[in-house]
Parts: sequence; structure tokens; C-alpha cells
Amino acid sequence: MDIIGFIEGPLWYFSATVFVAGALWRLAGILRFGRKPDLSVPRGSALAGAVRGFFLHFVPHGGFGRRTAFHLFAGYLFHIGLFALLFWAAPHVAFLEKRVLGFGWEPLPHWGFVIAAEAAFAGLILLWFRRISDPVLRTISDADDHIGSWLTFIVMLTGCLALQESHAELRALHMLTVELWLIYFPFSRLMHAVTFVFSRSYTGATYGRRGVTP
Amino acid sequence: MRGGQTAGFASNLRAIHDAPLALFSHVVIERDMRDLLRWPSFGGLCRAAMAALLILLALPSAAESPPGGTRGEQSGSELWRQIRQGQAFNLSGTTSGTPVLVQSEGAAWRALRNGPISTYGGWLLAAAAAGVGLFYVARGRIRLSRRSGRTLPRFTHAERAAHWFVAATFILLAASGLVILFGKYVLQPVIGVGAFAVVASAALQGHNLFGPLFAVGIVAMFVLYLKDNWPRAADVAWVLKGGMFFKGHVSSWKFNFGEKTWFWISSLGGFALAGSGLLLDFPWLAETVQQLQLAHIVHVIAALAVIAASLGHMYLGTIGVEGALEGMTTGRVDETWALEHHDLWAKDVIAAEAEKAKTTTPAPPFVPGRAPAE
Amino acid sequence: MTSVRPEAKSASAAVEKFLALTDAAVASYLEACVHCGECAEACHFYLVTEDPRYTPTHKLRPMARAYRRHKAPFAPLKRALGLAPSEVTEAELEEWAPLVYDSCTLCGRCTVVCPMGIDIAGAIRKMREGMTAGGFAPADLYKAADLAIATGSPLGVREKALRKTIEIQEKKTGIPVPLDRKGADYLVILSAMEIVGFPGTIGALAKLFRQAGISWTISTKTFEATNVGIQMGSREVAATLVGRIVAVAEELGVKYVISPECGHAYGALKWEGPNLIGRAYAFEVVHIVELLARLLKEGRIRARGRDPRRLTFHDPCQLVRRGGLVEEPRAVLQAVAPDFVEMKNAGPWNVCCGGGGGVSTNSRAEPLRLAAFRCKKDQIDELGGIEAMVTACANCRNVMEEAIEHYGMDLPIVGLGELLADYLEPSA
Repeated sequence: MDIIGFIEGPLWYFSATVFVAGALWRLAGILRFGRKPDLSVPRGSALAGAVRGFFLHFVPHGGFGRRTAFHLFAGYLFHIGLFALLFWAAPHVAFLEKRVLGFGWEPLPHWGFVIAAEAAFAGLILLWFRRISDPVLRTISDADDHIGSWLTFIVMLTGCLALQESHAELRALHMLTVELWLIYFPFSRLMHAVTFVFSRSYTGATYGRRGVTP
Repeated sequence: MRGGQTAGFASNLRAIHDAPLALFSHVVIERDMRDLLRWPSFGGLCRAAMAALLILLALPSAAESPPGGTRGEQSGSELWRQIRQGQAFNLSGTTSGTPVLVQSEGAAWRALRNGPISTYGGWLLAAAAAGVGLFYVARGRIRLSRRSGRTLPRFTHAERAAHWFVAATFILLAASGLVILFGKYVLQPVIGVGAFAVVASAALQGHNLFGPLFAVGIVAMFVLYLKDNWPRAADVAWVLKGGMFFKGHVSSWKFNFGEKTWFWISSLGGFALAGSGLLLDFPWLAETVQQLQLAHIVHVIAALAVIAASLGHMYLGTIGVEGALEGMTTGRVDETWALEHHDLWAKDVIAAEAEKAKTTTPAPPFVPGRAPAE
Repeated sequence: MTSVRPEAKSASAAVEKFLALTDAAVASYLEACVHCGECAEACHFYLVTEDPRYTPTHKLRPMARAYRRHKAPFAPLKRALGLAPSEVTEAELEEWAPLVYDSCTLCGRCTVVCPMGIDIAGAIRKMREGMTAGGFAPADLYKAADLAIATGSPLGVREKALRKTIEIQEKKTGIPVPLDRKGADYLVILSAMEIVGFPGTIGALAKLFRQAGISWTISTKTFEATNVGIQMGSREVAATLVGRIVAVAEELGVKYVISPECGHAYGALKWEGPNLIGRAYAFEVVHIVELLARLLKEGRIRARGRDPRRLTFHDPCQLVRRGGLVEEPRAVLQAVAPDFVEMKNAGPWNVCCGGGGGVSTNSRAEPLRLAAFRCKKDQIDELGGIEAMVTACANCRNVMEEAIEHYGMDLPIVGLGELLADYLEPSA
């Protein structure tokens, strides 16, 4: 088996397994700690609070819009672009259909792809610039933050370099970086893509019982 | 004529490079583009655009191969005659009613691109690099006499964000652009035709994708930096006194004449790159292929000029002038640096800072942890 | 008597305690933080100093590291590979103590801005449990805890002083205050700050309850509502103090215990108390503001006239953002000051007074606390022409009165209950 075959065959299955099993393990490990039942008398619904808390934190509230504008703009730019690429770029749809799911859907048109890619790159560059330049971000960032940013950037970059879809080498390079990303995911802060649901919901539930969702 | 001649060619770059009849690949790709455009996937459109660019940019073996005729259907001279007489070939990349891809101006353009532009462009970059080296030898690193320990704000967060955003995209674009322009002379002999085809494809795709980001960035940067780069009287004195080429410091506002020159070269060059690049990136914005050829010539010339000038900027911004880089990384510069290089501006800022200090009460200093008192 | 403070400092004791309290919620908080730094924008201590160390999530850092080293799902694997963070040291916790105690009022405003919805203040509350157990809490808080355990009050207010204060109020209002009455419906407990600094509250309550026809009492045995255990982070101290209230309330057989105008005392009794003592109460906890709003609505308290001053309301964090009493204080205000003006971002998003969560007890934090008030001052100044500020927390009131003096402002602060009592319909 040549190296391209290895990257697109065994290594893909290995990394996908690490990704799924690792993420599930980590999630189960967190939830396993459980919570003691709250004995206080509630003033509101914990479930309603959890749902409200989950959605509320998608939007700026509490008068912070202006001060957090940069992060809000770059953050949404990056995440929306990334998700559009991840699930609606034509090669990804084809790949998911052929290799993973067995069914596909209408992919983005080319102009949609270009806009999504530009947005994702612009957002990620701005977010990372903020991480290295803002005194607060410099104080709180650690290696994991930078590795996650760079790995994601390289995955996106190699994907775009392979855009002509004419060279197996470029496609395999993209696959290789994706596989590294998948293997890194469960052990890193990239897991925030999953854990944010729980952090928001736990807070929402705690305060929902008290009759307020901050 | 198209069917017979083109049926055997594959659509990818490698096939183009491998094809002995490179001239015909104009036709080949034109046909392929039509096929690609019918594809429902995003890749079709994208590839069509890329293919159009490839026709314009990367036909290394064209010059060596005799045009036409090897398949026996039609001689090269007959084909060229038809072309000169205005035989139209549909090009789906541009919008005009009678789009022409294969046209003799193409040959002239290609000669210009592969000839004088590549040659003199290469010399220009070499000269710029040599100039920077010479300046270093003659003037050395311009040192800071001493550090005052006090800092002044020089660039806001937005200004730095715009700068590094443009810098990041510029470096990616310059690197990929140079591969596209000089790769076949410099890289291909080293890594081989097949490998270069891969690198060229990657460079082109990356170049096309980062281009629009640069376009947005350069406009943002222009808006943010314009007010301090407007010519002022002090610039005349700066030029007359020989600027930075002699020891000693010449009075200047926030940016001296040299920096302003870089601002205008990079801004105007950047606009030319962005405008022409958009046409090349999205060929349907153009009406005729001649417009694309013109856009390409503008693009290459502007790119070479800005890259050459950027060497000077990067040198002076990093090792050339001690204390300059921190302005762009932390946003603040040492007071001594400010007074030595930009005295007029520094005096204003020092006064403004003193004024600000009068109205704000300083927050209490951080108390580091210590054992609770017994 | 032994002190709450351990004999020797121990980082491992601190870490152990924190990790024992790390449930799925705290774990998901530590896991979900992406270090975006937005919480700094919500923290008044950061806003006035611009010192990045005051970034709320940074305050959790040692415990976040301890979690990743010892408790997180892949901790053993990462330790084996040498990729786990290093052990938390005593020096590190010493350095962090002012971040955890001096520059955090547990106000929870950082949660509002957090895109991941992390309850940072809740996590710091648990970090403090570790800090206290490890001997890293500020000396003033250990002292207050010892005093509260010994005398019942963190300020050392004893029965004699209470009786004296009540006597004066009885004389002023002409209304007797029922003490230690078995079978009363409502048990009133007080914040030490009210007894010492704002005794008018007691007289106001007497007036209000007489009109409402409520049967109430104050216990001379246990009258303290504040709970230094909650502030410093000692479940043991907190449980002891809550247990005393529960014991006296159940002994007197009251139906309700009224939590006074004090922020954290409400959370201590209402939200944490049952979990601290491990059982539900035989009585109901009601906050005084909640009760007043209810009595007004039912017509049992009738206000007459209105306060002519331009008023605004300071939301005590623990009552509003973290207590859920958002509408109730406003309903009370509407009755006597219908034109009161709201600060920008009032309600669950309001800015803290700067002295909650034990910060006002901690003398080391005083300069920082006074500086942090600037955020509140900006909110007040923005409204312009405010003649008085109403609040419903004696600690907020005390902290803000000090700060107002410090800034040379001229702004009286009024307790919500007292304000209502001043505009009662005269009894027939």
C-alpha cells in the first residue's frame, strides 16, 4: 500500500475511531461525576432554565455587545464559515455520502463555498491575532489554544490547496491533516464543540430553579 | 474541429503539462470548462475559473512544441489562420456575447509574461534584496540610544489587527504568487514536472482563496492609516535632509516620508492587485479574455513592485530599526524611540498622555498574595 | 476553641477539597472554557485596573490545572505521557489568594457575558472551599468565621446589643417587637450590618408587619442571617450557621423564615442551606422583598404618597442575578416611587457594588474595592441627577456608602423596606 492509500484507508479509520471513541469517553467521564440532587425549594423550572440558558448564550445580552464586538464578529465569522465548509462543501458532501453516511444532500454552490472559506479564514486569523495581541488573552492562553487554532488553520488551508480536485497528493495531504485534527480533538479544548452544551445547560438549570437566567 | 482534436485530453493540469500539443490545450481546456460548468458540484465552477487562469498562466511546454497537426486532422498554420480571422471559440469564463479564448493576442501576452516581465521582475526582486543588504552594510542596525522604560501608544488594536491580517495574507499570496510566476524556471527543474504540477495547483488554489481576504484587508488598512500618511510640510525637510540614509535623526510626524512612500506604494499597489486579482479570480466579472490578459499584466507588475518594496519594509520594521517592531506587536513603543524617530508626533502623544493622567485616578497596584497576617 | 483556619498551609488539601466538590457541572465548566477572555469585560475589578490577572477565568487557573492533572477523563493517560499540568504548589495558591478573595465578589456578571455560559462565580465559590481548607483564605475571613461560630455573629453582635437596639426602635416607633414568641408565623433574622449600621430596618419591619397584621418574632438566641462560611468557602462553617437558624425556627414552630435585606444570606439559607444540612426545611424561606411585594399585591400593605426624589435601584447580585428576585423589588418601588429610573443594564445584568462575597470583610481588599466602585459610579453618573439610591442589601449599602464618601459624592442610600415603611397609609 502506498502512502496515499494508507492515509485514505487505515489511517482514516483509525483517526475516526479515536475521534468518536475519545469524545464519547471524555463526555461520559465528565457526566459520570454527576450532581447531587438539589434539596432547596425551586422558584422556577430547571429544565426551562437549561433550554433558555443554552439558547441565550448564542446572542450577546446584558449590555456587552459593544465591548465584545470584535470577538463576536470574528467568532461567528469563523464558526459559520467553518460549519458551512464542513457540511456543505461539495467534496465533503460527496465524501460523507460515499464513506460515512450513505446519503448526501445539496452542496453549496461555488460562490457559497468561496464566501464560506473567506469567512472562516478571516475569522480564524482575527481570533488568533486577538489571542496573541490582547493582554488578557495572552495571560490566559496556553499551548492547547494555539495548537487547536493552528491545526484548524492548516486543515482549512490544505483543504483549499486541494480545491482543484485534480491531485491525489493534495487530497491526501488534506486528509492527513484532518486525521491529525480528529486524533487531537478528544484530548484537547477542541472538545468545546461538545462541552459548551453542558456548561450552558448546567448554568441555565441552576439559575432556572432560582427563577432567573443570567 | 473541436471534437476530434480534444477528445483525448484529460482535464487536469498534469495532462496539460504532459501534452505535446500545448497550444491545443487552449482548446482542450475550453472544452473541458464547458463540461465542468455543467457539473452540479461547486467544483465545476471553481475548476473552470482555475482552468481559465491556468491557460493564462501555466503552459510551460507550449513554446517547445510545434503547434497542431500531430493527429493529422488540421495543420497548425491553418488553425492559426482561422484564429487570426476571428474564429470564435466559446469561453464560458467571461461574459461577452462572442467570447474569444483562442486569439493571437494571447501569444503576445504570453510572450510578454514569460519574457520581459519574468526576466525584469526577477531582476527587480534581486535588486531589492541586494539594496536591503547594501543598506544594512552601509548603515547597520539603527540602534536605540537607550531605553527610557516609559512607553507611548503607537498603534491601536484595530490598526494592528488590520496590519497583521494584511501581512499574513500578503505573505501567503506572495509566496504562492511567486511559485506561479517563477516556479517553472526555479522549482520545476529541481522537483520535476509532476511534482511541480501538484505544487502549482496548490499554489494557485491557495492564491485564489486568500486574494479576496487581502482585498478586504488592504481597504481596511488604507482607511485606518490614511490620516497619518497624508503629506505634510515636515516630509519636504525630511527628504532634503536625506531621511534615514545618514546618521542622526530628522524630524517627523507619526510616519516619515519613507514610511509614507511605503504606505502609498502598498495601498495603490494593493488596490491594483485587488482589482485585477478579482477579475482573475472571478473571470465572469470580465467581458473578454483580453481584459483578463490586461488584468494579469497589471497584477504581475503591481505584485513585483509591492513585493520588492515590502522587503525594505520588513527589514526596517524588524532588524533594521531597533524598537520599531514592538509598536506593531504590543501597540506601544519606547518613549526614546518615539522621540528619536518621530519627535513631532511623540511630543503630541506625551502631552496627550499627561493630560489623560490628570483626569484618571490610577487603580491600586496588584497586591501579590502573601500569608495571612498572624 | 479551635479555629477554622488549619494549622498549616497545604496545597494538596486545597486541591483535594476542590476536586471532591467538582461535580459534572463544574467539570463541564472547566472543560468548556476556550480562553476567549470575554469574562474580563464583565468584571469590575478588571475594568477599573485593566490588569489581565483579574480576568475571571484566570482566577480559576490553579484549580483548572489540578482538575486536568487529577480528575479529567484522560488525566491518567496524560500523566503517564508527561502531558498533564504540573502539581499545584503552595506558592501558586498564595499568589492566587488575592485573585480569588480580593478581586471576586461572586457577583456572577461574568456568566452573563460567557459564550459558553460558564458559572465562573459558582466555580470560584467552590475553589474558595479548597482555599479555606488549605489555609489560604484571608486572615480577616478566618477571624470572622471564628467569631461567628463563637458568638453567632461575624461582627460579634451579642444578645445584649440586639436587645438594646430593639428597645431603641420600639421607643422610636411605639410598636413592640415580639421576641422569642413560639407559634409565630414568621421568624425574622437580621444581618449583623443592619443591627450595627442600619437599625432603622427593625423599626420599619415593625411598622410594615403591624399594618399587614402579621404574627412575627425575632429570636434572641439566633438572630444572625449572614453566613461567613458561604463567603470564605467553608461548607462546615456554613452548615453550622444555617443549622442554628433551622434549629431555632423549628423550635419556635414558625411557618416562614424571613431572609433580610442581605444578598448572600438569602442564597445561604434559601439555595445552599438545605443542601448543606442535607435535608429540606420544615418551614419556608421567604425574602423580605418578596414578602413585601406579595403583601402589597394582596392589599395587606397599603402605601400612600410617593417619594418626590429621583431614585434609582441598585440590584444586589445575590438577590437578583443569582437569586431570581428581579421583579419583586421593582413592584415595591413602583408603589412608592412610580417614576424611579433604571440604570443601564439594570436587573440581572447590573454592576456589583464591589464589596460582596466577603470582599468588604477583607481589609486587604479595601483599595481595590473602592476602585471597583467606579463602575457603579459610572452607571449612576450616566443617569444624571439621581437624588437617592435604593437597595435591598445591607452589605451593598454599607459598601456603597463608604465608596460614595471616598469619591466625595452626595448620594443617600435607602433600604427598600425602610422606604416603603416611610410611605405607609397611617393606621386608623
